[in-house]
Order: sequence, then C-alpha cells, then structure tokens
Amino acid sequence: MSTPHLQVAKHASATSRPAEPEVRAATGHVKRAAVVFALLVAVAGPLFVESTLIQHFLVLIGINVILVLSLDLVVGMLGLSALGHAGFMGIGAYTSALLVMNQGFSFLGGLAAGTAMATFFGVLIGYPSLRLGGHFFVVVTFIVGIVFNLLFTNLVEITKGPMGLPGIPAPEIGGYVFQDKLSYYYLVLAFILLVLFIKWRVHVSRMGRALTAIREEEDLARAVGIRSHRYKVTAFALSTAGAGMAGALYAHYLRFIGPASFDFLHSFDLFVMNLLGGKGTLLGPIIGPALLTAIDQASQLFRPEPARILFGVCLILIIIYMPSGIMGLVRLLDRRKAL
Amino acid sequence: MLTQVLLNGLFAASLYCLVALGLTLILGVMDIADFAQGATYMLGAFVAFLTVTELGFGFHWALLLAILAAIALGVANNHFIYQPVMRRSASTLIAALGVLLIVQNVAVMVFGSDFQTYSPPFGTNVVEIGAGVIPVYKLTVIGIAVAAVPLVWAFLSKTATGKAIRAMSQNKEGAAIVGIGAREVSLITFALGSALVGLAGALASPVYAFDAFFGADAIVKAFTIVIVGGMGSIAGVLVGVAIIGFGENLVSGYISTEYSTLVTFVLLIAVLFLRPHGLFGKRYA
Repeated sequence: MSTPHLQVAKHASATSRPAEPEVRAATGHVKRAAVVFALLVAVAGPLFVESTLIQHFLVLIGINVILVLSLDLVVGMLGLSALGHAGFMGIGAYTSALLVMNQGFSFLGGLAAGTAMATFFGVLIGYPSLRLGGHFFVVVTFIVGIVFNLLFTNLVEITKGPMGLPGIPAPEIGGYVFQDKLSYYYLVLAFILLVLFIKWRVHVSRMGRALTAIREEEDLARAVGIRSHRYKVTAFALSTAGAGMAGALYAHYLRFIGPASFDFLHSFDLFVMNLLGGKGTLLGPIIGPALLTAIDQASQLFRPEPARILFGVCLILIIIYMPSGIMGLVRLLDRRKAL
Repeated sequence: MLTQVLLNGLFAASLYCLVALGLTLILGVMDIADFAQGATYMLGAFVAFLTVTELGFGFHWALLLAILAAIALGVANNHFIYQPVMRRSASTLIAALGVLLIVQNVAVMVFGSDFQTYSPPFGTNVVEIGAGVIPVYKLTVIGIAVAAVPLVWAFLSKTATGKAIRAMSQNKEGAAIVGIGAREVSLITFALGSALVGLAGALASPVYAFDAFFGADAIVKAFTIVIVGGMGSIAGVLVGVAIIGFGENLVSGYISTEYSTLVTFVLLIAVLFLRPHGLFGKRYA
C-alpha cells in the first residue's frame, strides 16, 4: 500500500540493519561527527549566550530533552505510544518539592525520592497495562496522565490545588547553590548525559537486544525464551523514572509548580517532539524538543490558538508523510549519498 | 440522602453511557481509539446552545441539529483523516489527538474562550422520587439514555446493516469475502457513534457550563468505562457505567468530591490487575 519512498524511509529507520561496509563506514563517520559537534555546541555554546531569556529557553529545552529521551525508551525502543509522561513528571516534581520544602530533604534527596515515586507509579501502571495488546496501553497511559493531573488539582491539602506550590528552593549540592540560569543549564546538561549514558548501557546490553526483538516481533521473542512482559515493564519503569527526575529538575528551576504544567497537552507535546525528532534515534530526542520548544515559546508571543492548530495539522502530516521524523530524513539523505 | 445520590448518579451515568456507547462502537468496528470524539461532544453542546439562544428554536430542534453536526464532523474525520492514515498504517490515535487539538482551538477562535450557560428546558420543575428530588430535564435525559441503549442494541443485532457492522468487527476479511463493503460500514459506524456522542454533548449543555474544551472530561471518563467494561462490548459499557457513574457519585456524596476522581483511577487499575481485558472484554491476540 505504501509508496516506495516510504518503504526506504522505514528501512532506514531500522537500527540493526545489516549494511555494506562502505555505507556503514560512511554513516558511522557522519554520525560520530554529528555527535561530537552536538556535544561541543551543548557544552560551549551557552557560554556565548548573553541573553537570560535565551538561557531560560535552553534550560527548558534541556528539561524537555530529558523527558523525550525517557519517553523514547517506550516509543523508540518498545515501539509503543505513551501519552501520560507529563503526569509522571508532575509526580516527580511534587514529591521532590514537597519533601525539600516540608521534610528538610536535600535537593539530591528530593530528586531521588521524586524519581523513585515516579518509578513506583510507572510499575503500578505498567505492570497490568503492558500485558494488553491493541490500544489498551496508550489509552491507559493517557487516562492515567489526566487522572494524575486531577489529583494534583484536587488534593488541595497536599498540593495546594490549582493555586500551585510557590517558594521551592533552588538546588544546592555540596554548598553550591544553582541560582543563575547558566549554572542551572549545566546541571541539566549533566543529567542529560546521565540519561544518555543509561540509555546507551540499556541499548548495548542483553536488555536492549531483548527490547529490539520484542519491538520487531513479540511472539517470536517470547518463543525463543525472552520474558517480554518483564522487559517491557522494566523499560517503562526506567522511562517514568526519567520523567520523574525531569519533573524534579523542573520544580527546582521554576521554583513554582502548579497542575497546569503537567497537563495532557504537555504529554502530547512530548510525544510530538519524539515523533518529529525521530523515534529510536540518538539525536532525534534532542532535535525534536529543541525545535518544538523554540516554536512553542515563539508562539506565546502571539495568540496561542493558531499555533496549536498548526501543531495539529503538522502532527497529522508527520505521521502520514514522515513517520520516522527528522532523523529518518537525515538517514535517508545520508544513505542516498553513500550509495 | 442515598436516593438523592443515586438520582444524581443516574443522570451522570446516562451521559457517560451515550458517549461510551459511541466510543465502543467505533473502537470495536474500526479499531480506532477516537479521542477526537471529545470535539464532537463539544460541538454538540455548542450547536444546541446556539440553536436555542441565537435561533430561538425549541430544544428538540437543538438536539436534531446537534446530532447532524456531530455526524458531519465524525464522518468527515473518518473520510479525510482516518482512512488516509490507516491506508499508510500510521497511528490513528495520534491523528485523533491532532484532530482534537485542531477542532478545539478552531472552536476557541470561533466561539470565544468564555464559559457558556443557558437554562434547561422545562424550567425549574422538579419531580420528587422517594426522599430525593430531580429536575424534570434530568429525568428526561435519563429517559433518552434508557431508550437509546436498547435501540442501539436492536439495530446491531436485528437489522441487516447492524449485522454487517458486527461481522466487520469480528473478522474484516471474512466480512469482505461475503460482500460487506468496508467503506459503507465505516461510514455508518462513524455516523452512529458520532451521533450518540453529539447527542450526549447537547444533552449535557444546559446543565454544565461549557467552553471549547468541554468534551475532554467526558471522553476520559467514557474511555475508562470502555476499558473497565471491556472494549467493544455493550454489556461492558452498561456495567462500567454503573460502576464508575455511581461509584463517583457515592464517593462525592458521602466522602468528598475531591476523591471521586481517585475512585475512577483505583477502579481502573484494580480491574486491569484482576481482569486485564475488562469485565466483558474478549481476549485480543
């Protein structure tokens, strides 16, 4: 049914594709150069940025990168859709903020607790819902994301409801307070590298190979003895852990959180960022958030509705004509050049 | 107290029931989790509101126009978005969310961002039932829902068209071999499903204040009901509606409104743990 053009794109997106040596060398070369370049820009670039507004955007992009990298564990590695990650982010944010403010936790302690809490809920929801086929899993994550948001709004005694939680302290590690935006950017960058490292370790491990097998053909994977449900729950739990961690970073950066920051639209944005950048790729979860956060912040200057409409139209066009995102296009061009 | 809580629960359950029926129909036959029906619900509410307040027509005309608008939106969605998306085997769910985003924001631009209210038909007349009191309007809504369920059931199980729809939901290839047209069935399914959701939106509009994002809550509740009951099952919808509709109202009546959504959540997780395919669901391969 699909056009030859699309089939090539699909083919290019398979990471474990056996290629001729010259082609692989060429793509590997380009890939390594791109990664080194991205890392250099990420580390040195912000030093030359004077504007605090742009530094602020960079921090927000960084937090979204962590969220999309985490989401990609489910979307890219498992091949499932998940639409509740803003809810898990909110759990991390509220847990960390409340523990630091009321129980005297340190920043890292709060962050760890927020991450653990999001992981707990990830397992609680992932365990039953990942056993189901069809639309079950994605509908459940969607509903759960909305229910979490309702809880943030309605459990007024704990979360202060729609009024939100003001006065969250800035993070302090070993006496150093991450007060200004530039230092916070590097804090976020450190966590991005941590998440990338964990994802890479997962990818090259037995678990990564199991996840690829499950994504491509779950019945076959189970037939050769891969305990698919256990791997899927682990991947989802890791993914929600990342979302919780990003939530904690978000709470201590903005110093204020309210239910509106963790609503369904944000889950949706994250998912679109992942699709746009290219699911299951290394750089895709970095390009997607950077591009969409910039567009989103720019659209705040005008009326938000036309931007949202455009967003919806783009989304439908992407899934029809560009299913493997920007990185899919890059790979396609790269492959054509190499051949 | 209990009678009153049950009456309120019955009204909420009636609206959820209509929406969940529409959703489960589309899900069962087309295999689309159509979140864009949130927009249909909202459109139904606005069309009914404008028919009554701007055109000055009676409420029955408002319902009719709302249903027609809902059908137009649902059928257009199916034809222009879902069919091309399915031909490319891309995710209809994401397309549905894209449509929801587009329609909601177009509605904000067209109808404005204010909450709208208007007075329900039959004025403030109430009926006393036992120790409880219920407005005539709410009682009428309950009556409409009670009538709609057997009608939908009879349509699906007795008429040739209904049988074709069920055949398609059971086995697409088998249905195609005996000459059932996929295009006609998808058209009828979307028309019927959207009509039910649009009707629910129109019926809800005089009771709740609504804006362009009106449908979101109803759709989430309705999908929870569909999952709890079992996807694609009418009996499941009825049981799910009873559990969620009444459970929420019992909790908000006796404990606190704040915890009523918590009940939905706990029930959903509990059912998924105990009966992963829902109470009346068939096992998916």
